[in-house]
Amino acid sequence: MDSADSLILEGAGDREALDHLFSVAYEELRRLAAGVRRRDPGATLSATTLVNEAWIKLARTPVVARASELHFKRIAARAMRQVLVTAARRRIAGKRGGTGSIRVTYDESLDSAAGSDAELVALDDALSELARMNPRQSLLVESRFFGGLEVPEVAALLGVSEATALRDWRAARAWLAAQVKRGAHGA
Amino acid sequence: MERNRWERLQALFHAASGMEATERGVFLRKACGEDAELLDDILAMIEEDRATSGLLDGRVEGLAARVLGEAVKEGQKVGPYRIERVLGEGGMGTVFLASRADLASVAAIKVLRDAWISPARRKRFAEEQRVLAQLNHPGIARLMDADTLADGTPYFVMEYVDGVPMDRYFAGGGRPIEERLRLFREVCEAVRYAHQHAVVHRDLKPSNILVDSRGAVKLLDFGIAKQAGEYEVAADLTRTGLRLLTPAYASPEQLRGERAGVQSDVYSLGVILYELLTGRLPFDMSKGSPVEALRKVSEREPVRPSLVARRVREKEGTGATDGAAWADLDVLCLKAVHKDLTQRYASVEALMRDVDHYLRREPLEARPDTLGYRLSKFVRRRRAEVAAAAVVAMTLAAMAGLFLVRLAGERNAALAEAARTQRVQRFMLNLFQGGDETAGPSKDLTVAMLVDRGSREARILDKDPAVQGELYQTLGGIYQKLGNLEKADILLRESLERRKSGRPAGRLETLVALGLLRVDQAKLDEAEKLVREALDGSRRELPPGHPVTALATDALGRVLEEKGDYEAAIPVLEEAVRLRSAPAVSRADLAASLYELSNAHFYAGHYAEAEELNQRVLSMNRELYGNQHPRVADCLVNLGAIQHDKGHYREAESYHRQALAITRAFYGEDHHRTASGMTMVARALVFQQRTGEAVEMLRQALAIQERVFGAVHPRVASALNELGNSAIRLKRYDEAKAAFRRVISIYREVYGGRHNLLGTGTSNLGSAHLAAGEYAEAERFFREAIAMFEQTQGPDHVNTGIARVKLGRTLLRQRKYTEAEVSTQTGYQILIQQVNPSASWLQSARADIAEIQAALGKAAR
Repeated sequence: MDSADSLILEGAGDREALDHLFSVAYEELRRLAAGVRRRDPGATLSATTLVNEAWIKLARTPVVARASELHFKRIAARAMRQVLVTAARRRIAGKRGGTGSIRVTYDESLDSAAGSDAELVALDDALSELARMNPRQSLLVESRFFGGLEVPEVAALLGVSEATALRDWRAARAWLAAQVKRGAHGA
Repeated sequence: MERNRWERLQALFHAASGMEATERGVFLRKACGEDAELLDDILAMIEEDRATSGLLDGRVEGLAARVLGEAVKEGQKVGPYRIERVLGEGGMGTVFLASRADLASVAAIKVLRDAWISPARRKRFAEEQRVLAQLNHPGIARLMDADTLADGTPYFVMEYVDGVPMDRYFAGGGRPIEERLRLFREVCEAVRYAHQHAVVHRDLKPSNILVDSRGAVKLLDFGIAKQAGEYEVAADLTRTGLRLLTPAYASPEQLRGERAGVQSDVYSLGVILYELLTGRLPFDMSKGSPVEALRKVSEREPVRPSLVARRVREKEGTGATDGAAWADLDVLCLKAVHKDLTQRYASVEALMRDVDHYLRREPLEARPDTLGYRLSKFVRRRRAEVAAAAVVAMTLAAMAGLFLVRLAGERNAALAEAARTQRVQRFMLNLFQGGDETAGPSKDLTVAMLVDRGSREARILDKDPAVQGELYQTLGGIYQKLGNLEKADILLRESLERRKSGRPAGRLETLVALGLLRVDQAKLDEAEKLVREALDGSRRELPPGHPVTALATDALGRVLEEKGDYEAAIPVLEEAVRLRSAPAVSRADLAASLYELSNAHFYAGHYAEAEELNQRVLSMNRELYGNQHPRVADCLVNLGAIQHDKGHYREAESYHRQALAITRAFYGEDHHRTASGMTMVARALVFQQRTGEAVEMLRQALAIQERVFGAVHPRVASALNELGNSAIRLKRYDEAKAAFRRVISIYREVYGGRHNLLGTGTSNLGSAHLAAGEYAEAERFFREAIAMFEQTQGPDHVNTGIARVKLGRTLLRQRKYTEAEVSTQTGYQILIQQVNPSASWLQSARADIAEIQAALGKAAR
C-alpha cells in the first residue's frame, strides 16, 4: 500500500479494523459476483447499493464511527479495489506455479478471467502511479469505479465542481486505459 | 511521470481531443516538439477516449464475477470425496455436493472461499465448524469432518440434506395452517436446542431451513452463529458485520448493528412464521437500500397477518380465511416480530409455548389478559376437531351482534379499544365465569339461548375431561345465574364427574358450586354437606391460603345463614373475611364475604354491626363496580331492610327504590331480582299505609318469581308474604290467609319443621285471622309462632316480642285479660330493650296494655 493508501485509510485505525473492512468489502463483492454469475439482472445490485450496505454494516464499528459517509465510501472503494486486485494477483501467482493446487474458475470464463486478472493488476499499478501524479484524480477513479459513486458525490467528496470532476475523469480514464493496454499486454 | 508533465499531458489532451485530425496533427507536433513519448501518450489517450468497452467502462460487479473464483471445482477430489456440484453460496463459503464412492454416500462440503482475504474470515469459518461440532440435534445438519486443501483453504464436511428450502416447500400455499405451524415448531425446536448450547444462529431464514422428503426440517448455515458469552461486544459487532445479513429476516437491533442475542433469532423466526402464514414478508425489502430497510423496520408496524392473508386469498381467489383463528396468529406473529425487545417473546421457548397453545386452542400467553379474550378463547376451545364450529361462530356472532362488538372477527383490536368494549368483556366473562355481577344491559333470554346452544355443543365433545369439566362448571354457573336450576344441576354434576380425577382445586370448586346451587334449590342440608365436604377437602388437599379454601369457607357461611343458623354462620363468615383480607386476594372477594357477614348480623338482630358492615361494603362496591352495579343495589337493599326493622319506613323505601332502579336497569323487568326489589319497596309502602300501590307491585313481583323459580321457592314465599300483609290492610282476609298458608307450606317444604321464617309465616297467618275476627285460630297460630321464634331466634328476639304482643291482642279480643296482660307485657319488655324497636308494635303494645289494664281494673271494681 502506498502513502496515498495510508492517507485514505488513516481513519481505519488498527489492523483488526482493516481486516474487518476488507472482509466486508469482500462479502459485498462476492454477492455482486454471484448475481452476475446467475445472470440475474434483478438480483444484481449496483455498486452504489453495495457500498451503502457495507456502510450500514460498519456504521457502528470504530472504523466507520469517526468517518463521514462520504469518507467511508472512499474507504470502502479502496477496500473493494484492494480485494479484487489481491485476488487477481494471487491467481496470477497460482497460474505461474504458486502452491501447485488446482486453481478453479468457471470453465467458460477461464480465458476472460485470466485477461481480467492481468488487466486489473495493470489498472491497479496505473492507479498507483496516477496517485503519485495527482492523488485527487486517483481517488476520483477509485471512488467512481470501485465504489460506484455518482459524479456529484465524487465532486462533493473531492471538493470540486462537477464539471471539473468530469474533466478530470475523462483524462484519467483515457490515460489509465492506455496504461492498462500497455501493462496487460506487457504482463 | 512527474506531476508537471501529467498536468501538461492533460492540458494538451483536452485541447487536442476537440480538434479535427489534421488540425490536431499540426497542433500536437508543434506542442510536443522533440518529446515523442509525450506525443505517443496523447495519441493513446485520444484513442482510448473514443473507445467505450474498456475495463473502466464496465461495472465492478462484472469484474468481481471474473476475478473472484472458487477454490475447488467439479470433479475435484477433496479428501475421500469427489466434488459433484455447487449446492449454494453462503457469505463465507460455497457449499458443494460431494460423493464418496467407497461408502456410496453423499455429503455437503463447505469450503472457505478466498481464505487469504483476512485472518478474521478464517477465524469465523473455524468458529462455525466448532459450533456445529457441539450441536447434535436431528433438526440441525451434522458436522462430519474437517480439514484443509493443499493450498491451505479450510473446509468441513456436513451431513447432506436432500430437501427443499422451507419457502419453496410451502410455495403455492394449500397446506393447512396447522401443518405449517407444526413444521415451524420443529424449526423452533432446533433453534431452542442451539440456544441451550449458548449458540445464537443470527441468520435464520427459509433458505437456511430445508425440509426433507419425510417432512422433517434441518437447520443449515451457522456461518454467523455466535457462541454467547465468549466474545467481547466489539468483537461480536465485528463478526456480525463480517457477513451480510438478510435484511428481510434480520431484527431491527441487528440492522442497527447492535448486539444480537436469542431474541434476534426469535425475531427472525417471527418473520419466517409471518411468511409461512401469509406468503408475504412483514416488510417489503426488495426495493431500496438497507438504510431504508432499517427505517422501515424501525418506524413502521407490520400489517396484521390475518389482513395480509385475506388480501392474498381474495386476490388469488383461494377461499375464505377463518377470522377467529387468525386473531391468535396475529398476536403470536406480531409479538415475535416486535421491535421492542421487552415486548417480544423473551425466548424461543416462550414462542413455542404459544404455538402449542394455539394448536391446542388454549389462550395464548402473549394475549393481554383481557376477560373477553379468555371468554372467546374458552368458547372456541369447544370446537376441538368436530365440525360443530358453526355453533361457536354463531354463539360469538350472536354475542357480538348483541353487544355491538365483533368478537369473532377481530377480537384483538376491537376488544381492546373502547371502554364500552371492556364493559362488555366484563359482562360476558362474569356471565361465563360465574360472577353474578354484570356491566351490560339485560339480555338474559338471548344469553340463555346461547348457553343452550353451548351446552348442546359441549355434550358432543368428550375428549378432554379437564376441558369438559371446566366447561360444564361454567355453563352450569350460567344456567344458575339465569335461574335454570335444573339444567345447572345437570351440568354441575357432569362437571364434578369429569373433574373427579383432575386437579383437586377444580373438583373442590365444582363441589362448592354444586353446594351453592343446592341453596338456590332450597335443599339446605344437602348444600351444607357438599360445602363442608369441599371445605374439609380444601384444608386437607390444598396448600394453606388457597383461594378455594376461602371460597368454601365463605360458601359454608352462606349455607348456614340460609339455614337460619346465624350464630353459627357469623364465625364462619368472619373466618372467610379473615382469609380474604390477605393482600393477594381481590377486594371484590373480600367485599362479598363482608356482605354475607353483614347479612348474618342483620338476621341475628345485630343491627348496629349489620349497618356498619353494610356501609363499608357499600363504599367498597361503589369503588369496585361503580354506582349502577347490582352489588351496590344489594347493599342498598340491606340498608333499607335495617331501616325497615328500625321502623324508619320512609328511609327504607328510599333505599329500596334506589336499589330497584339499579336492578331493573341491569337485569330487566322479567328477572327475579327485579321482583325481589319490588317486594322490598312494597313492604315499605305497606308499612306506610300505602296499600294500593303496594299490592299492585307485589302481584307483579309474585308473577315474576313464580315464572323464574316455580311454585315452591322461598322467593315466591317472600312475595306471597308481602301480598298477604297488604291483603290484610285491604281487608281481603281470605286472600291474605290463602297467601300465608302457601307461605308456610313453602317454608315447611324448603326448611323442614324448624326455621324462623316458618315462625314469620305462621305469625302472619295468625294476624290475618286476628284481623278477620277469628280469634281462636289466631291464638293458635301466634302460640305456634312464638314457640318457633324462641327455638330459632331466642326468647328475646324482636320477632318473639312482636308475636307475644300479637298474641296479647288476640287474648285481649277474647277478653282473656290476665293472660293477655302477661303476653303483651312480656312482648313489650322484649321490644323496648332493643336499640331501635319496631315503633308500630311498641305503640300498639302500649295501647293494648292500657286497654287490658282498664279492662282488668273495671273487672276488679
